[in-house]
Amino acid sequence: MSFSRRQFLAGATVAASASTLGLTACSGKSASSGDSATLSFGWWGNDVRNKETDQAIKAYTKANPKVTVKPQPGEWDSYWDKLSTEVAGKNAPDVIQMDMAYISQYAKNGTLLDLSQYGVDTSKFAPGTVDAGKIDGKLVGVNAGINSLTMMANPELFEKAGVELPDDTKWTWDDYLNISAELQAKGPAGTTGNQCAFPTDNLLQIWLRQNGKDLYTADGLAFDAGDLTTYLNLMVKFMNADAMPTASAINEEIGKSMDQSAFGTGKQGFALYWSNQLAAINEASGKSMKMLRPPTVAGDATQRNAWYKASMLWSGYAGTKNPEAVGKLINWWVNNPEAANICLDERGVPANTEMVKTIEPKLTDAGKATVKYLDDIKPELGDTPPAPPAGSSEIGDIMQRHTNDILFGKDKPETAAPKIISELQAAIKNAQ
Amino acid sequence: MSAISELTSLRRSRAKTADERRQQRKENSRDNKAGYLFLLPWLIGLVVITIGPMCASLYLSFTDYNLLQPPKWAGLANFQQMLHDQRLHQSLKVTFIYVFVGVPLQLALALAIAILLDKGMKGLSFYRSIFYLPSMLGGSVAIAVLWRQIFGTDGLVNQVLRLIGIDSHTGWVSDPRYALGTIIILHIWTFGSPMVIFLAGLRQIPVMYYEAAAVDGASRWSRFSRITMPLLSPIVFFNLVLQIIGAFQSFTQAFVVSGGSGGPSDSTLFYTLYLYNRGFANLQMGYASAMAWLLLVIIGGFTAINFFVSKYWVFYDD
Repeated sequence: MSFSRRQFLAGATVAASASTLGLTACSGKSASSGDSATLSFGWWGNDVRNKETDQAIKAYTKANPKVTVKPQPGEWDSYWDKLSTEVAGKNAPDVIQMDMAYISQYAKNGTLLDLSQYGVDTSKFAPGTVDAGKIDGKLVGVNAGINSLTMMANPELFEKAGVELPDDTKWTWDDYLNISAELQAKGPAGTTGNQCAFPTDNLLQIWLRQNGKDLYTADGLAFDAGDLTTYLNLMVKFMNADAMPTASAINEEIGKSMDQSAFGTGKQGFALYWSNQLAAINEASGKSMKMLRPPTVAGDATQRNAWYKASMLWSGYAGTKNPEAVGKLINWWVNNPEAANICLDERGVPANTEMVKTIEPKLTDAGKATVKYLDDIKPELGDTPPAPPAGSSEIGDIMQRHTNDILFGKDKPETAAPKIISELQAAIKNAQ
Repeated sequence: MSAISELTSLRRSRAKTADERRQQRKENSRDNKAGYLFLLPWLIGLVVITIGPMCASLYLSFTDYNLLQPPKWAGLANFQQMLHDQRLHQSLKVTFIYVFVGVPLQLALALAIAILLDKGMKGLSFYRSIFYLPSMLGGSVAIAVLWRQIFGTDGLVNQVLRLIGIDSHTGWVSDPRYALGTIIILHIWTFGSPMVIFLAGLRQIPVMYYEAAAVDGASRWSRFSRITMPLLSPIVFFNLVLQIIGAFQSFTQAFVVSGGSGGPSDSTLFYTLYLYNRGFANLQMGYASAMAWLLLVIIGGFTAINFFVSKYWVFYDD
């Protein structure tokens, strides 16, 4: 009996699959010993941030040659989908760039390291900037930079339209409405007054705090349907006065990058941004935008109950193999002048006051303007808002949906407000 | 009959000793082993990539699972919640409109173009490629992004309309009245793959039928309705089943065109998009799994109806 073709093929298949299995078995092993560590590093960002972060990682690995860092840059929208999936698959990045909106959710589920146990020093941080990252007494997020909301204005467009910039220490919501409407009427064809920030929780929070309320308590909502109705009626007023883009133009803006947005292309008067975004918006638009305080109900900026926010935070993944190395890297990032000199203020003005002094001479005009803005508004600060409860990150989606119903004439503020409240409450309850 | 099985049956026909039977069993089992070995790559794929996740998803559909914590058993709670979920009902409405408007129109266009191309004209393969092109591109993110630009407030469509004197400022993808319609047009535009299949089917129809009909003085319409359609009906059926299944699972276009939200005002909230948002944005994987199973039941139901009804209109010429 000879060796048949069939037998040969069968043998070959076995051999092939065996070698494949062998390969996967090999790649499953990973070395980890002594100081050497391989850390994955996840963040969301923009071009400027990606460049600087890569540079800082290189500087760190040069100083710590035994450490390898795998950068994982991302975009805000997909970042959170990806992170939740990675956490479920137990392969999240070791160093995680975190946001206030999500930190409760991740901390509550034991996903984040208590960084105070791994050598992260926050003793040089400005008062009130450490607590934002503390949940249940554990330091699960280290402030990566301070920022505050600002109403950016495009001075070039104001000049073209022959409209004067407002005095931002005194202007009211009515002024905001009138100036926007005037700009939209007098500006070059296609000009819009403002981007319509009403669907965002940012503008809502500004308005609520001026009225003595806030978005959240530690575990729920700090406002009611009545407040929200008044706020949404304000949006309708803007729409009726032609002070903002049409409903469909507002929707077309969703998902556009800064350089493609109406404000970035110089066709819009005002847009609400975080103060650390000034450099990015200037680069994207090629203009120099002016930072204004948001308008106030009282017409007096000192009564606006402003707040500093951690623009983002550094967190460590609890499932990491090298918690010590994670702590060391984060500590370097927030406390070492070398890191500060590379990243400057892109993630917000550093919380470590010594680092602010280190970088200040190196800042661009935009950076200096941001430091000055944050310094100027100190007398206007109120209490620091608590970390948003888990599940509340759905607010953006819920608000957008219902404000759209109003803008397209399918709903009214009086009826939309209770729906928003009940959906938000359900989302928060679901996440507990 | 293959040579091997012929040989086997030949051996079987003889009376067998116990020894021979043992030999026979050994050979059979060796045959089977080799067969399974060849199947192995596919089998591993099926178990690891399809059946495994399906079983996991079935289990998860009865749980409360947020990805960050282990799943908690919830019984039928997810399915009960689906009964009262307004957005789920909206997503079903959107998806049904998409399927029942988009698929018939797409197939009709595909058939019409296929009949035009079947004339045996010069450069047929060139035209066929040109018409097929959108199918290869249509499902891609790049085209959906382009679509968003073309149908924007200041996009190409409105500019052309303005050129011909219609002062249009409609945002075709950002106004809830038109957004779904625009996505349906994108779907119809990708008629290439059913068209190619129709074309192949048309080529199979013997010319003699048409010749005989022409001799009898049959009109064009009656040649189409009495020869082409009946003989093409199995192909139509095949395309219909495939396209309906595909359309129920559409995701990319709506995701890109609406920026992932299903907006404006949930007007493009496709079922799969809502499922995705529930699972990955709201971290309700249990509920999302339950939704996935409902979709399976719906698609299965429609496919079954399709096969049942096919008895009355599909003509098999054999």
